[in-house]
Order: sequence, then structure tokens, then C-alpha cells
Amino acid sequence: MSEPLLVFRGIEKTFAETNILRNVDISLYPGKCILLSGNNGSGKTTLLKIIAGLETPSRAEIEFSGKSHSWKSAIRSIRREIIYLHQQPYLLSGTVESNVSYGLRFTHLNRKQLRESVKEALEWAGLADVAKQQAKTLSGGVQQRVAFTRAWILKPKVLLLDEPMANMDIESREQACDLLKRMKSEGMSIVITSHDTNIIDGLIDIHFSLSDGKLD
Amino acid sequence: MEGMLFTTQKALHLLVTGDPELWSIVMLSFSVSLKAIILTTPPAMLVAYSLVNGNFPGIRIILAVFNSLLSVPTVVIGLFLYVMLTRQGPFGDLRLLFSQTAMVIGQILLCFPILVALGYATINAADRRVRETAITLGAPWWFTILTVLYEVRFGLLAAVLTGFGRIISEVGISMMVGGNILGYTRNITTAIALETSKGEFAQGIALGIVLLVLAFVLTTFLTYVQGKQEMST
Ligand SMILES: Nc1ncnc2c1ncn2[C@@H]1O[C@H](COP(=O)(O)OP(=O)(O)OP(=O)(O)O)[C@@H](O)[C@H]1O
Ligand SMILES: [Mg+2]
Repeated sequence: MSEPLLVFRGIEKTFAETNILRNVDISLYPGKCILLSGNNGSGKTTLLKIIAGLETPSRAEIEFSGKSHSWKSAIRSIRREIIYLHQQPYLLSGTVESNVSYGLRFTHLNRKQLRESVKEALEWAGLADVAKQQAKTLSGGVQQRVAFTRAWILKPKVLLLDEPMANMDIESREQACDLLKRMKSEGMSIVITSHDTNIIDGLIDIHFSLSDGKLD
Repeated sequence: MEGMLFTTQKALHLLVTGDPELWSIVMLSFSVSLKAIILTTPPAMLVAYSLVNGNFPGIRIILAVFNSLLSVPTVVIGLFLYVMLTRQGPFGDLRLLFSQTAMVIGQILLCFPILVALGYATINAADRRVRETAITLGAPWWFTILTVLYEVRFGLLAAVLTGFGRIISEVGISMMVGGNILGYTRNITTAIALETSKGEFAQGIALGIVLLVLAFVLTTFLTYVQGKQEMST
């Protein structure tokens, strides 16, 4: 396999004296998709949030471009290349369009590029018709698609998806799978958590399962 | 003493004919309290946000301090400020005693803990995912704060309205550090308190009506705003 993009080593996480994660190592490769399975409460969400810099680990190291850094010192700089999608996405107040363009404000795009990029993304995701609607009024499945588009438009190097298929009907699942395959072929590194392992066959390159705080 | 009916008639007359002295007192109240609330809101919201999301030692103690500051009587705040600003006091050289600035400072001291406590409760009830979503989509720290505050804006507006209602109706601070000087520091509440004691009822009743109408409008608006916040969460 090619060089890993990022390696997380020795991740430990303790909540109220319970070890949720014990010395977990995980490597993220460009263009590869990892499936993370495990029972409810096994720590999948916690692990993804630590990788995304949204949860502070008790201990962890990050390796990239041949150097090892402490989680604390490195996470700020790598966090902008990593996007985490919630199990239940939170759409911000405002229209679908304003949600999709949210992260683009922090890039170097000018107004015109921004507008074109949003338009393209909305069409790509089949959301052009609802672009002007209040995002919070949409159905769960469509909200998920908005959240996905809002992340995709930023072209992150790593995409972390927490139970992305849970709210989707079969047709949407297949669409989402195709999308993810396309993103993989563009070199994106993807981590998905799911209980259901067979629906996303053909997408998964590596399968880990989390139990007792350890990865197998 | 004139008949009650006659006095009330006179009060209404003052109100509808736009008596200049009366309305200048009303404007002074609004000007002082609006300045105080505008200056207090941004720092109070920042403090409330840090108390919810920060992780530094002593958060619980700071919260407890703000909560206990809620019940400090206004005359005590007035007394404290008086001692600070009097000629012999530590800030006596600023010559601020008996000025509008002193009233603004006193009202800031009064509403700061209110805004922090109510702001804390509102921001603490905000969905955790808002902050996480902003961060993961690359928002810088200050935009993350704005995003969270914007998601609970109706709750925060309710806090601000409550604070405003409190300071525009307080007497103790305005009396002690303002001094009720006509045309300079006399506001609605000090006018009611002092003019009434001199037997000038009509103006007092007219100002009382203004304060009651304001309270009614604020409460109605507050109820509406709180309903909005509940709907949006
Ligand atoms: N903020 C927190 N404080 C205390 N305990 C927590 C916190 N967040 C998670 N936990 C605990 O950590 C454990 C792992 O939770 P996590 O959400 O990571 O599991 P999960 O594998 O994603 O579960 P699910 O499949 O139900 O989504 C659970 O026992 C949970 O109660
Ligand atoms: Mg989970």
C-alpha cells in the first residue's frame, strides 16, 4: 500500500474512569475507505471525533510527513483537512445554500468563485430545487444530503462519516455509495462507521472492529 | 392635595401634549440604559460562552459568583460605586460622581451578572453539534462563537430584554451616583421617587405610566421571543 496520509498512534480516552479507547492505532491512506464497526457504545463516535479534533484524547500521537507530533500540537494544523459528519447532522439556521457555502467563507475563494462552486455542488447533489428553502424544515434524508454536500464542497483530504446510511432509503444508499467511490478515486481518505457491513461492499478496503477499546 | 381624578387628568395631559420636561426625563432614562446594555452585551456573551465551552479551572466557582451577584441590591451597588467615585475615593480624580457616565457604569455592574447568568443558561442549552459543525467546517474560533450565538439568538435576545427591563426600572444606583439633577441625571425612576415626595404627583403618575407601558411592551416581546427560541430548538 502507498504511504499513509496520517497515522494516529496510542489513542487513549477515558470518560469518568472508564477506558473507552485503549492504545488504538489507526492509519489513514489516500484513496482508501475504512469501515469501523462495533457495538453501541464501543467508542466509534469518540474515535472519529478525536481524529477530527473535536474531542480531546487522554493521550495520542499523530504521524505525518515522516514526523511524530503530540495530538495537541498537531491537531490544529491538520484539522482543516479533516471533516467529521455527525450521525444526525445539524443544519444551521438559514437556507440550504447558506449551509452548503458555510465552510467556503474560510477558504481563499472570491465571491464569484464561491457562488459558482455552490451552484455546481447543489446541482451535483440534486439540491438545486431546495436551495432557497430553510434547511431545518427538510426531511431527515435530505438534511443528510445537505450535510454531505456541505462537507464535500470543501474537498477535505479525510472524510469521517458517522453512520451515514442510517437515515437513507435503498436508492439514496446506492447513490451515496457511488458518490463515496468517486471521492475515493479522487484520492480522499474515508472512514465510515456502521453496524451493517454488507451494504457498502465494494467500497470498503479495510475493515476494523472496535471492542473493549481495541481495534481488530 | 388636589383630587385624584384631577391629578390623573393632569398626568395624561403632560403625556399627550408632549411636555418637554417629562419627555426629556424619559429620553434620558433610555439613553443611559441603552448605553449600558449595548456596552454590556458583547463582553457578557463572551464570558457566558467561555464558561460553557472553556476548560479552565474554577469555572464552577466563577458561575457561583455570578449567580450570587444577581441578588446584590441596587443600593449596595450604588454605595460601592459612590465610594469609588467620591472625591476622596480611588477614582475621585475622574470627577464622575453625579454624572450620566456614573449611572451607565452602575447599570453595567447591575446587568452584567444578569446577562452572564441568562446567557450561560441559553448557550449551555445550545446543541453541542453546532460548535462541532462550525469547527469541522473550518471556522476560526471567533466565527465559531458567532455561529453558536446566532443559533440561540432568540434566547440571547430574551436575556438582553430582561437585563434592559431591570436597569431601566432601577432606582438605587441612579439616585446615589446620578443625584437626580434636572436635565442632567434625572431619569424616570429618580423623578418619580423625589418629585412625589415634594407633592408633585402629576409628573410622577405620567412617568409611572410610561414605565408600566414599557414593562408591558417588554414582557410581550419577551414572551414572543422565547416562543421563537423554543420553536427553533
Ligand atoms: N461526553 C461524554 N461523557 C461521558 N461519557 C461519554 C461521553 N461521550 C461518550 N461517552 C461514553 O463513551 C462510550 C462510547 O461512546 P460512543 O458514542 O463513542 O460510542 P459509539 O460506538 O459511537 O456508539 P453508537 O453505535 O451507539 O453510536 C459510551 O459508553 C458513552 O456513554
Ligand atoms: Mg456513535
